[in-house]
Amino acid sequence: MTDPPVMVGHRCAICLRIAFPPDPYGCEKCGALATELDEFELEAKGSVRAVATVHRHHHPSPSTPFTVGVVELVAGPVLKAIVEGEAVAVGDSVIGVLVDGEDNDGNPVVDLHFQVVT
Amino acid sequence: MSSRSLLSDRPVFVVGTGLHPYQRRSETTYVDLGITAVRAALVDAGVMWPDIEAAYTGTALLGMGSSRIMLSRLGATGIAMTQVENASASGSSAVAQACLEVASGRSDVVLALGVDKPRGGLGAAPGQAGIPNLEGGSIVPFTHFALLASEYMDLHGVSDEQVARVALKNHRNGSLNPFAQRQKVRTLEEILSEPISGSLTRLQCCPVGEGAAAVIVASEDGIKRLNLDRSRAVQVLSSVTRTEGLYGEGVGIDAALTAETGMAAFEEANVDPSDIDVLEVHDAFAIEELLYAEALGLCKPGEAASRVESGDFDIGGSCAFSPSGGLLAMGHPIGPTGVGQIAEIVSQLRGEAGDRQQPEARVGMAHMVGIGAVCVVHVLRCE
Ligand SMILES: [Zn+2]
Repeated sequence: MTDPPVMVGHRCAICLRIAFPPDPYGCEKCGALATELDEFELEAKGSVRAVATVHRHHHPSPSTPFTVGVVELVAGPVLKAIVEGEAVAVGDSVIGVLVDGEDNDGNPVVDLHFQVVT
Repeated sequence: MSSRSLLSDRPVFVVGTGLHPYQRRSETTYVDLGITAVRAALVDAGVMWPDIEAAYTGTALLGMGSSRIMLSRLGATGIAMTQVENASASGSSAVAQACLEVASGRSDVVLALGVDKPRGGLGAAPGQAGIPNLEGGSIVPFTHFALLASEYMDLHGVSDEQVARVALKNHRNGSLNPFAQRQKVRTLEEILSEPISGSLTRLQCCPVGEGAAAVIVASEDGIKRLNLDRSRAVQVLSSVTRTEGLYGEGVGIDAALTAETGMAAFEEANVDPSDIDVLEVHDAFAIEELLYAEALGLCKPGEAASRVESGDFDIGGSCAFSPSGGLLAMGHPIGPTGVGQIAEIVSQLRGEAGDRQQPEARVGMAHMVGIGAVCVVHVLRCE
């Protein structure tokens, strides 16, 4: 198995808060300027805290049904992302995968999804 | 934070309420929607339009300058008029501003109106903030709440069916409300059909239509001067607005924000959660009623689903939740919603709610959250 992709977040040099995605404006905890925010690498690896399969969606992409999870990264931050696969369950271990997709205007984008580690 | 409450120094009372039915989008203009609700509130209060000293219009979707266009049709009296936008809580914030205006002593009789005509899409600012978001367009509000439902059900061993019972109750309440967008009693089977996201189904998500709601608030002096019916005046004990803080990774923001706003509102009102007889909460999605019942301290964590199942949150139960039908059945036309909640609570506390009357209701609460996230809570009491 390949290593999970690395996600680049930030860590505040003043209050040490780690956040993902990195914020272009400043630190939400202490208000430090963005110049005080250092790049901080997070491994795209964690576990599923909550899961929902979406049956109705306002846009053609992604096509339904797709599954969204709340993923708690090993490094701490909690985020929401598409989790690939049919039978995703709370507690499953997941790693990040980069997926070619389209935005709502049909432009190509690379998305970070997660998939269950068996 | 100041411990002194403007609302206790100079008490504020709701003296009139009026509604335009919440309905699917139609050809009715927002002017028609708005003045219908205001005229009903004036009649209810026994107040003439020229007696109104200022007006706040809660609207998120109408665009610039709606108040004067609408309200001058009642007479261009030249009073101060201001639009108030606070996402789903826009109407609640209009009420908050009207109460503040009276409590401050600047005015004695003030209108809070909510009106909106959703045009599809919410034009919400977060999407244009230039703050990157991994979720992209794949996680819309109903999926956010479907994920909260998943987490709640997993944590407390609650079933899909138990969550759906919130919608069963609120659709039943809505069937008794002539102003509700959804007025049909539903079966559990109907509510569990038509999945949208996760365990959430169509009937566990609120309809966003159009409508209007108005309340008139007044000071003691205003009530005396205009010779209004003191016995039908309902006091606003507290009005609290807060926005989302940092709650630690993975903590549900909607419930955490509700908990701190609710606590501040109980404190300002000098009441306990157990004193609440009737309340309207932001049940845009069925799971929310369970989350907020617990966050507001109206039951213990993990207990809300069984309280709904036992009928405790029904009209006639220990505390009636969303007797209007809530956002799920009365509907969520955005601007009007928070004002309509106050209209329902006032009707309950006056003992004028007819088939929906919670027996011996004395203390009531209205709670809204909105994208941002924001939370607005009001506590009211009849004398
Ligand atoms: Zn910081």
